[in-house]
Amino acid sequence: MTASGLAVGVQDTVAPSRRRRSPMIYFALAVAALVVVSLVRVLTGAGNLTSSGTVAAALTAAVPIALAGLAGLWSERAGVINIGLEGMMVLGTFGAGLFGYQYGPWVGIVAGVALGAVGGLIHAVATVTFGVDHIISGVAITLAAPGLTLFLAKLYFTDAPGGGQKQSPPIEDVPHVSIPGLSTLLGDIEQLQWFFVSDLAGLLRGLTTDVSLLTVVALVLFVATAYALWRTAFGLRLRSCGEAPFAAESLGVNVYKYKYAAITMSGALAGLGGAILAVASSQFRDGQTGGRGYIGLASMIFGNWRPGGVAAGAGLFGYTDAMQLRGEGAVHALLLLLGIALLVLAVVQLRGKRYAVASVATVIGVLFIVWFALSDQVPPELVSAAPYVVTLLVLSLAAQRLRVPKWIGRTYRRGEGG
Amino acid sequence: MRRKRGGALAAIAMAGVLALAGCGASDDGGDSGGASGELKIGLAYDIGGRGDQSFNDSAARGLDKAKDEFSIEATELEASQGETDAQKEDRLRQLAEGGYNPIIAVGFAYAGPLGKVATDFPEVKFAIVDDFTPGTDDGPNIANLTFAEEQGSFLVGVAAALKSKTDSVGFVGGVNTPLIQKFEAGYTAGVKAVTPDATVQVKYLTQPPDYSGFNDPAKGETAANGMLDADADVIYAAAGGSGSGVFRAAKEKGAMGIGVDSDQYNLPSLNDVKDVIITSMVKSVDLAVYDFIKSVDGDSFKAGNTVYDLSDGGVQYATSGGKIEDIKPQLEEYKQKIISGEIEVPSTT
Repeated sequence: MTASGLAVGVQDTVAPSRRRRSPMIYFALAVAALVVVSLVRVLTGAGNLTSSGTVAAALTAAVPIALAGLAGLWSERAGVINIGLEGMMVLGTFGAGLFGYQYGPWVGIVAGVALGAVGGLIHAVATVTFGVDHIISGVAITLAAPGLTLFLAKLYFTDAPGGGQKQSPPIEDVPHVSIPGLSTLLGDIEQLQWFFVSDLAGLLRGLTTDVSLLTVVALVLFVATAYALWRTAFGLRLRSCGEAPFAAESLGVNVYKYKYAAITMSGALAGLGGAILAVASSQFRDGQTGGRGYIGLASMIFGNWRPGGVAAGAGLFGYTDAMQLRGEGAVHALLLLLGIALLVLAVVQLRGKRYAVASVATVIGVLFIVWFALSDQVPPELVSAAPYVVTLLVLSLAAQRLRVPKWIGRTYRRGEGG
Repeated sequence: MRRKRGGALAAIAMAGVLALAGCGASDDGGDSGGASGELKIGLAYDIGGRGDQSFNDSAARGLDKAKDEFSIEATELEASQGETDAQKEDRLRQLAEGGYNPIIAVGFAYAGPLGKVATDFPEVKFAIVDDFTPGTDDGPNIANLTFAEEQGSFLVGVAAALKSKTDSVGFVGGVNTPLIQKFEAGYTAGVKAVTPDATVQVKYLTQPPDYSGFNDPAKGETAANGMLDADADVIYAAAGGSGSGVFRAAKEKGAMGIGVDSDQYNLPSLNDVKDVIITSMVKSVDLAVYDFIKSVDGDSFKAGNTVYDLSDGGVQYATSGGKIEDIKPQLEEYKQKIISGEIEVPSTT
């Protein structure tokens, strides 16, 4: 399109000088984080903090959540709240179940994506064309999807071999890949339990061994989204629809079209998240999404509506969830880790002159360290809450400059701009 | 065009609701009145309902068996994910007001609501599966149908200890409720009876009121993998639908699994992992439901607690697959000791 069409999103981009520096900073941060984790592991002896098993399980747990977050990002960047993610994920799990057991996992994935996209399209029709309140439409989809899939499951799965009224017959898994040779080498290093080196080996081994191809697909989609939304004219126009639709309109952007595209894409991604969950669980089950859509939505908000932030949020949740599921001992070590992380955060916030946040982080951080010192284990009743607590605390205290797309949640009508 | 598609979907959804409503109401058992007249039975399932291939399905089997023998008209209703006690109370009240008698509530979640409704309908006979608090009297019209899960779990614990080569075994519970803790207590006692210094790793997938732990195979797999990485080689999955994830993890690592509620070796849905299932702790809810209906039909209703245990086959260990054929004599020996009272199995941890 024209150059003026491109100009719409420019104000909203961050100053380029800061962005050019960021990869190095992130790398340094990651190394520093690993040093701290490694230190805590050595101090507490909780091997599960950095074992390759935990990392691999974290990756598997994070992928559906991350995709739900990415789905939310597409929709909300175009100005439409998508609280129907959970419902669209359910549609995805069902699509994967229905087609996956008959024609193989890949066909199932495609079907899940398609069904999710249909859910997205319904949301688009309701919110964009009919101007229905975004929350109401989203909640309706979340409520309707499980009912519809349950009905269809009774219809299609009851008499299928190995199926039931609430579950599909088993679906085959997609191939898993490892980087040849690396796994054994890293495994040996991990066994040595050296400070930092073994932790790094565990981390790398978890990320490179027995990785589902679907995880690779998800990774590619994150990179593709970051590119499409921030490096192409299409992306600028799409985001302009979520910031200032009338300005976009005045520059010749068809806002309706972009919103439709964004929400359908959102549904498709949520459907993919659901489909991946079903394939990873080897079957569709009624109620198997278990709120992952909402967690994805939360990771999107605390991830500041950016792909990297979404991935970090989902990764943090997946990591903590995997750790608490694999063994409760590690959760006790997590108290110390969380305490240190909060103190570090406090220092960072102090340098940014945000004194209130810094003091809150300090107090909570110290409390966690005291709790760690005074106890031998975390009560099992609280252990399952760990992923929620950690993700919320870290993200909400770290991300103090959240910026919502300006036109979010509001109805747009062509030609009615002031 | 797009609008039409939305309409069609809505129509499908609506048709679904109608069809389901139809299913529930039209299950009548024929006109021929039996000797004691026709029974109108109301059955309220817990989350999962008919088709969960586990606990609720077992209750449904009991009802189906009774339908074959007695003249019965039955309505089956089912709980939904995340509902409140008020909704459960409404469901029971609806059945009672609809003239259903007896009414069977499947699952401990109905305990509170059932108590309230039962006092308002003293003429109606109620049964509740899996709920009884020792030392209390729920009323003259409530029969508690409970199971000695700890006894069956003790035996599969014995099997786990005998089969384990690492002397480390696992227990994956679906949701951390007193009921599932009974399974854990019995299992741990069984393991320790054989190998006193064995390690039992315990993990509950979720905490109430989050009941998704009974339905999340992905979480089951992660928890099981954690135990297997920490040297466990037999894992007891008392986790409903999440069990399939536990078995898959066991299969991948060449370990063993123990099923729950029904003989899971024979479940078609677990066909691809069944070779790791060495036994299952079978809980015959169908037997209890059938017995209860029979007692009402024969006018021999008995209020209060009835425990189904090893002695009457209410709980037992499954032998399908032949994986525990070699240790069956030991298992039978423990079984006899429990029945005779020589071994007393703890029901709390």
